Amino acid sequence: MSRIIVVTSGKGGVGKSTVTANLGTAIAALGCSVALVDADFGLRNLDLLLGLENRIVYTALDVVAETCTLEKALVKDKRQPGLGLLPAAQNRNKESITPEQMHDLVKGLAATHDYVLVDCPAGIEGGFRNAIAAAEEALIVTTPEVAAVRDADRVVGLLENENIKRINLIVNRVRPELIQQQDMLSVEDILDLLVVPLIGIVPDDERVIVATNRGEPLVLSTQPSLPAMAFRNIAQRMEGKEVAYLDLMAAHDTLFNRIRRLFR
Amino acid sequence: MRPLSQIQLKTQGDHLLVTLPSENLVSEPLDWEQLSEELETRLQQGSWGSGTPVILQVHDRLLGGHQLQTLLGIFQRAGRFQLKKVLTTRRQTAVAAATNGYSVEQTTPNPLAAEDETLPFLLAEPLYFSGTLRSGKEIAHPGNVILIGDLNPGGAIIAAGDILVWGFLRGVVHAGAWGDRARRIMALKMLPTQLRIADIVARAPTRPPNQWFPEIAYAVDDGIRISRAEGLNRP
Repeated sequence: MSRIIVVTSGKGGVGKSTVTANLGTAIAALGCSVALVDADFGLRNLDLLLGLENRIVYTALDVVAETCTLEKALVKDKRQPGLGLLPAAQNRNKESITPEQMHDLVKGLAATHDYVLVDCPAGIEGGFRNAIAAAEEALIVTTPEVAAVRDADRVVGLLENENIKRINLIVNRVRPELIQQQDMLSVEDILDLLVVPLIGIVPDDERVIVATNRGEPLVLSTQPSLPAMAFRNIAQRMEGKEVAYLDLMAAHDTLFNRIRRLFR
Repeated sequence: MRPLSQIQLKTQGDHLLVTLPSENLVSEPLDWEQLSEELETRLQQGSWGSGTPVILQVHDRLLGGHQLQTLLGIFQRAGRFQLKKVLTTRRQTAVAAATNGYSVEQTTPNPLAAEDETLPFLLAEPLYFSGTLRSGKEIAHPGNVILIGDLNPGGAIIAAGDILVWGFLRGVVHAGAWGDRARRIMALKMLPTQLRIADIVARAPTRPPNQWFPEIAYAVDDGIRISRAEGLNRP
């Protein structure tokens, strides 16, 4: 039984594409076959993050127009077996595909893959409607910022209306030192508002930006990093394993910081 | 007077009566997108079981086949509710419903039938709603509203009567929306973005209290006051 999961957030720039790329790679590394679908027509990014931009021959619109088969359009990642990308069109916009067409594409991929992750564009209009067309589960990505959490709440409300009941939360770009100083929302604060089960906490790390620009998902790097560990843990949790959360606060819970908190 | 909730849901015996307001009482055209969202939310959060039969009452509203399909989709998604009958006074609506295979009861227009709308100061039954009311969701009701759960920022409750939030009130609430300043707002944890009673608008203190107590907000001459619920009725 394949799983069709939409990665969405409402707010832009919180890390949906980064999560899709890294999580997709991490799940494929566990041995599953994963298809990534970029639903951001006109402003596609997923191909860049995966470093597959120069291998795109056909896009999802070519499959819809029946210029080629779904199999041919899928770009297979040579570094990670089991991972494939269905690219979006860059020369059009979100109105060039309908939810029904998206639904058929995603279902087609689901027939031959264990996981289909759909990278949703920012917003709640047509692009969002397209991305959720065939989704059965959702991963909400948010950062610990009031604006992002507000938008995530709106999106969860919309998903609940569409009867997508299995929703999980990933809190991205967490800065433990700021949480320690109470300058940033804690994960507990976010869960209190969103009331959605947590599946991952990914710390903020400059290496993510470097990896993005290079087109190499951080989980593929041989250098260990906290975000990569976090993504691998999320992949394990998606497969049903119980994995303890990384203790991100430990390094920042110094005596100095504790005293500072007393004076807030 | 702003027309509150465009839809009314009422349990009648073993089925659910869904009423859309009469066209000559509500001058604004029905905003279908807003209506769909509201109807889905209310159907999902209500206590009607899956498969409950539904009777749709539309008075003299004109409903084409397309709009009927939209409503059917909503009923199906919200809980596989089965549309059993359509009540209407308008011939075209009756024909559309019958063409789609639904049992229709066409009655002659009866000015007394729309009793809830013609007597605005008689409040409807209180609306119970359980769950988290999320950002972007709005409940409007011509009566008292009781929310068993949280109201998130960006969400709103608008009631002709009182509003009681048995949880965390963080959004916008408007009690006494038809002008009754005696209406009150109650919450276990009061941290609204905005409080409104009748025609008065107020902001609550932005810093949360050190300790949470259930509180009541009520209107006075120059604004809205919040008091601890305990002891409010004592002289």
